[in-house]
Amino acid sequence: MPRRSFILTVIFLLMLALGCKQKDDGAGTGAGSQGKRKMAVVISTLNNPWFVVLGDTAKARAEELGYDATIFDSQNDTAKESDHFDNVIAGGYAAILFNPTDADGSIANVKKAKEAGIPTFCIDREINSSDAAVTQILSDNYSGCVELGQYFVKKMNQKGNYVELLGILGDNNTWNRSKGFHSVVDNYPELKRVAQQSAEFDRTKAMEVLESIMQANPEIDAVFCGNDAMAMGAYQALAAAGKADKVKVFGFDGAKDVIDSIRDGKIVATGMQFPKRMARMAAEQADEYIKGKRDFPQKVPVAVELVTQENIAKYTAYGRESEQ
Amino acid sequence: MKKACKYTLAAAVLVFLLSQSVYLKDLAEVREQRRREAFNAAQYAGDFWLNQLPGALDNAVDITELIGLFEADMAQAIERYGKAPGVSRVYAYLLKGEGTIVSVEDDALKVSVGTPHTNPDVVIETGFYIPGNAVRDASGLVDVSSFSDTMKFNEIGGEINKIIVEEVIRPFLAEKPAAGRTVRFFGATQVAQDAVEEDSLQVIRIVPVRLELE
Repeated sequence: MPRRSFILTVIFLLMLALGCKQKDDGAGTGAGSQGKRKMAVVISTLNNPWFVVLGDTAKARAEELGYDATIFDSQNDTAKESDHFDNVIAGGYAAILFNPTDADGSIANVKKAKEAGIPTFCIDREINSSDAAVTQILSDNYSGCVELGQYFVKKMNQKGNYVELLGILGDNNTWNRSKGFHSVVDNYPELKRVAQQSAEFDRTKAMEVLESIMQANPEIDAVFCGNDAMAMGAYQALAAAGKADKVKVFGFDGAKDVIDSIRDGKIVATGMQFPKRMARMAAEQADEYIKGKRDFPQKVPVAVELVTQENIAKYTAYGRESEQ
Repeated sequence: MKKACKYTLAAAVLVFLLSQSVYLKDLAEVREQRRREAFNAAQYAGDFWLNQLPGALDNAVDITELIGLFEADMAQAIERYGKAPGVSRVYAYLLKGEGTIVSVEDDALKVSVGTPHTNPDVVIETGFYIPGNAVRDASGLVDVSSFSDTMKFNEIGGEINKIIVEEVIRPFLAEKPAAGRTVRFFGATQVAQDAVEEDSLQVIRIVPVRLELE
């Protein structure tokens, strides 16, 4: 065998041996620096402050519980997410606190981790599976948007033209929010949706999408946005068009800039999700799992609360004043 | 030149054949369609209504006892009767009672369940759509963890509400309820754990499960 081929074969066999790590019986050894176990925090995107808070809180709580924690940004890309899972598995992490990019597309990643003996705890976004993750701590988006829809009807006096900006189409949160909202609003025939379009939960896209919608539909009275980043983008588009005082904007999340905007009278309302609460719960449950607990409910909806200009005093960014 | 023509023609035929054998559809639409095909929320809700809910009504708490407990000890009320599908400040209660109709509104009955039957202390929803998941959650019979996705769980709530409108509210309104008459009811309500402190407990809104005029 020529010398070069021999060396390549040896390298290949070494890599194969390193890749074929033996499974352990539960949560993996996951030892990090100074013998600390490691938790991975895999977040769908860090291009949105809400998810930054989610990731940072999960990491901080994991560290408080005595783990080394690392955040991985999937950039809303299931391929990148898959690479992160490969790295986490190879890196011997003890648990994954996971905010998925896609309800269906992310299942394979969670199953891959499970097969490698690493438990996954989903936060905020759901995967469409009941047996891959240990548990899924999810915002109750549907009920939150039922309440938001009722408030929308009231503020609109049951009539007017509105635009709906959807989030990422492959994410269950997008549809749970939209369906909760429509379960109320569609019962009022004088409330007319003139356009429904995805802006992928992104502020800049929301601004561009709404600008384009307003060219075809200049007479709108409200914009319902599937998250707060899009609500801020919509508000920007309306402000640029000189319509910010006339058109009511509704968001969903409880992000800092929208809470500030509700306080300033710019945005009408949002649904407060509790990213800090959910992230802490996920880290604590992962810790309990590592310590031997196995009995977890598969899905845990966390209630969303309506934040308006009337009750804004009770709320701060990402939560209630009382729980900060 | 002849060869080039031949290849171009072959490529064109190939592209044509491929375009005839492949079609594009929005992935989100396909997923939604598959999900719907696999799960029938109306059927699930129908079974819940006919076969599961009647048994749960045996455990419905009397409305006057519940109101008293809310005011005296909310924590006890939650522990004994409250249900929530996850982490929430709002709990759902399955309840029963009777009272005097104080007024008949467009989409609700105002009812007094105390004496002397003048001030309404509950509102029974009688509109042609019911929002939310009060009955599903108060029953404690539908476990979110048993569904692969929460949209199915939410669709069940919507289908239960449709049954309530068709089988409870419409027939009841056909009997022409009027102020002064007595109404007996089973239903569900949702109350926040800090409702007393926040002074939002003046009137309890009830989604009816059974309504009967005396």
